[in-house]
Amino acid sequence: MRRVSKPFPHRDSSRDLARSLAVLRALTVSDLRARYGRGPARLLKWLLDPFAVVGVYLLLVTFLLEREGPAPGLSLACAVVPFQLLMLAILNAIGAVNRRKAILLNMEFRRGLLPLASVGTESVAFGASLVLLALMMVIYGVAPTIAILWLPLVIATTIVLAVACAYPASLFGVWFPDLRVFAASFVRTMFFLAPGLVALNEVSGRAGDLVRLNPLTGIFESYRDTLLYGQRPAAWQVLYPLAFSLVLLLLAGPLYRREQRHFAKVVE
Amino acid sequence: MTASIQAEGVGVRFLLDRQRRLVTPMLATLRRRGTEVWGLRHLDLRIEAGEGVALLGPSGAGKTTLLRTIARVLHPDEGRLRVRGHVGSLLSVEAGLVPTLTGRENAVLVATLIGLPQPGSDALLDELRARSGLGEAFDRPVASFSQGMHARLGFALAERARPDILLLDEVHEALDHEFRDVIADVAGELRQAGGIVLAAGHDHALLERLCDRAVLLEHGSVRADGSFAEVQLAAAEV
Repeated sequence: MRRVSKPFPHRDSSRDLARSLAVLRALTVSDLRARYGRGPARLLKWLLDPFAVVGVYLLLVTFLLEREGPAPGLSLACAVVPFQLLMLAILNAIGAVNRRKAILLNMEFRRGLLPLASVGTESVAFGASLVLLALMMVIYGVAPTIAILWLPLVIATTIVLAVACAYPASLFGVWFPDLRVFAASFVRTMFFLAPGLVALNEVSGRAGDLVRLNPLTGIFESYRDTLLYGQRPAAWQVLYPLAFSLVLLLLAGPLYRREQRHFAKVVE
Repeated sequence: MTASIQAEGVGVRFLLDRQRRLVTPMLATLRRRGTEVWGLRHLDLRIEAGEGVALLGPSGAGKTTLLRTIARVLHPDEGRLRVRGHVGSLLSVEAGLVPTLTGRENAVLVATLIGLPQPGSDALLDELRARSGLGEAFDRPVASFSQGMHARLGFALAERARPDILLLDEVHEALDHEFRDVIADVAGELRQAGGIVLAAGHDHALLERLCDRAVLLEHGSVRADGSFAEVQLAAAEV
């Protein structure tokens, strides 16, 4: 059998890299246009979307619910905001192949870029969510410190984890298209198996050790360190999610590469 | 231009699980007890530069599967397929267009995917708008397009890719007579320049305008291959 497809051809060529980036950008922009529409209202929609999803909840926690700990609304936002990126990227990736069915059945293109485009779309949406973190800091009077310089690294780690999750999520969407709701529940469960509602220092005993196994724990705590506690994130908070992402990519990458050759057979 | 297509014993297999759902090989292995269907099997075909070939046959004969395999949308599970030349394709009614985007936005997306230079440039988009004949509809969401409008835009993009091999699958039958003439002209020019036109469908009158050779497919294999008139007679017996 002769292999005629080149799903990831000439990855070392700068021309192909430029082409891949152009395709990635085109896929992401088309996703964003479908979501936010056109004209000046799209900027407003982009800014308001995070408020509609989690902003109202955060304001409820901040102004109505009595909770212990420093700046509980900001602490919660440090978990909810990055979690939204991860969850929406995973859900987007689950539907990525079927959503691109028309393209998939009509032309050859780099299907390996589909999960990346899902993360690209949700990363743009995530940009607006960062406003929520700033708003919470203002509400609680938490001034930014020099530690905020670590925020780009923390955000990059979140995006890397989202990319690593997007590949198996896309495969899951192709293999089990009927189980999207189950997948969403599973991802939500991961939030509750991490210090999302309360900070890690409020989780005591064996549970405190166990939740550290969840890569979301490091992500949530690194946002809190950077924005709430004003300190440099501990190394494990960044390195553990990155190592987890690497392992996930090493496992799911080759599988995705092999399976993507058959996507056009199963999406009809 | 030295376009050519050479298929030797090509087979494309579809795997189904117990609920008769299409699955990938990995999932088929996990679920076991599935079945397989060959969209193409032991298919031998050779098409040389300058030829126009119509694919005839009943639904399920393998016409679409063959076109998609040549377009590298599907991949052979057995055999050997050699395609020399740049392929432009119009393989589904949707023509690869996203319904929520406008014609212009789709043009940018598809132009990027198929590797046209400067896919967002005004010059290219104006050219595609004119070539598709969509007029103001070019800036409307594709969801409001008729099938013929889909095909017009899809064809304009496929043609603009300057293909050596043009693949058309039934969708061209959704076009009005005026645009069918455009397709016939483009196909003729391409063949004269040493390219290949490969078209499938059930509108034999239209196919005969594009192709003088025909291949009759049955159960994924070639049953007859010859002049359009000869093969059309054989197709009537199937």
